[in-house]
Amino acid sequence: MKLGLVIDLDTCVGCHACATACKEWNGASAISGPLTDDSPYGADPTGVWFNRVRHYEVGEFPGCKTINFPMSCLHCEDAACVSVCPTGASYKREDGIVLVDQDRCMGCNLCAWACPYGARELDPASGTMKKCTLCVDRIYDQSLPVEEREPACVLACPTHARHFGDFDDPQSKVSQLTASRNGFGLLGELDYKPVNRYLPPRTPPQAASPAPAVASEGALARLIARARAAITG
Amino acid sequence: MHAALSVILFTVLSGMGLGAFAIVAADELARTFSARADALAPWNVAGAIALALVIAGLCFSTLHLANPKNAWRSAARFRTSWLSREAVFAVAFLATAAAFLGARWMGVAAGARVVLAVLTVGLAWVVIVCTAMIYASLKPIRAWHTWRVPLNYLLLAHASGAVLIVAILDGTAIAMQPLRMLAAGLLLVAALAKWEYRRYLAGDQRRVTLESALGVAHGVRGAGAPATVAARLLDVGHSRGTFLTREFVVTPTPVRQQAAVIAMWLGVYVLQLLWLWQGTRNPIAAALAIVVLLSGLLAERWLFFVEARHTVRLYHGERRV
Repeated sequence: MKLGLVIDLDTCVGCHACATACKEWNGASAISGPLTDDSPYGADPTGVWFNRVRHYEVGEFPGCKTINFPMSCLHCEDAACVSVCPTGASYKREDGIVLVDQDRCMGCNLCAWACPYGARELDPASGTMKKCTLCVDRIYDQSLPVEEREPACVLACPTHARHFGDFDDPQSKVSQLTASRNGFGLLGELDYKPVNRYLPPRTPPQAASPAPAVASEGALARLIARARAAITG
Repeated sequence: MHAALSVILFTVLSGMGLGAFAIVAADELARTFSARADALAPWNVAGAIALALVIAGLCFSTLHLANPKNAWRSAARFRTSWLSREAVFAVAFLATAAAFLGARWMGVAAGARVVLAVLTVGLAWVVIVCTAMIYASLKPIRAWHTWRVPLNYLLLAHASGAVLIVAILDGTAIAMQPLRMLAAGLLLVAALAKWEYRRYLAGDQRRVTLESALGVAHGVRGAGAPATVAARLLDVGHSRGTFLTREFVVTPTPVRQQAAVIAMWLGVYVLQLLWLWQGTRNPIAAALAIVVLLSGLLAERWLFFVEARHTVRLYHGERRV
């Protein structure tokens, strides 16, 4: 088994529902909760998150796109965070999920250094490393209805930009989506073989096209040209 | 990278101690195979000080742990983790080095002493390499993922260790000229390696871009689009600092960085070479040389961390690391 997520950059609207749903579920989870916060109502709030959403602009006007980019653990096949861990606290399960045994971790930070994606965060309250569990305490829970046996982030996503499944099964939704939409992994040059896949926007962003020549010599066209020159410097 | 004082002190002090002890143990071999007969006691004092430095460094390293009560587990992943290997070999070194010093003090037969000396030198080298490989094995950090890191750690450990031994033995009747030559030679080679490393840091080899981190280069861009689609960060998604920004998105001010570069070149290399070259025996100058050397090494190790840029910085908006 190779469990993981597909994240659709075409439909993600960057609402952070996945991140907050993750924080809510895993904060109360026995696997690695609580996800502590430091001065949450103070001037400088900070805390542990398994999932962070960042926002980028790709391409150049008029072909540019805003890309909302959620990132959590990619559950790499070649997970350096596991191999560098000196205590054996970090481990990879048979189903592909990478976990941290909170009772063994000594908080040396080395796994966070080894992760190129920033998937791991040290919880200063417990002194241990914490990370996405792929909601291992939801996906196998027989007491939940079948349709709820998915990670909290997937269930929370209002635009269905997140999908969960087994990448080893070519018939699974995640495999099919990856194949049909050219799903890609991040930082392939580091060769960690991340499992999670991202689906590119259906209309790809474009680089700047050559500046359109101001052909029509009307007063309005001259005004627009001057305004554009003033704005772009 | 965030430069934790505990890790800086650990690598500087342990490195110096290991290098110095390797030289003390190598001296045992030198006196076995040549007809040298200068006093053993000052060399044993130097060995004891070197051993104390290694132990002090290891103590500092535990201050870096957020959950030190699990530190005893750190030998569990010897097969894959350089930190595990370092822990195991450091304990082995401490035991062997203590046995070697004890054997010398009690005047044990030369054969046993030579065996212990060879073991101690080997273990000292292995521990230094393990420490360096903790950093050099990390692919997301270009500044560290290179053979230059173990080379520089080995050279600096031995150069600083040699200077320490010169300073300790300076007040004794031992002939200092060969030791000064050894220290100066090691310093010169270490300076050359450091210069080459800094050239590599400034160069363009194996850099990763924001576009590549986002998949713009091969994924987001899509087929048929031009290769030059650029990306920029609009919003990082959090209003204040996170573990990631504190640990990875640390940038020194240019003034501090320049000051550290100057402190490193002066303190570790130039002033030490001048002191070794002038050759007069003065305990105050010797003590001062060590203080200056340690300050220079602290600057050098601080730079090693703050100049290293992790790929997580790309997701926080940096264009290339």
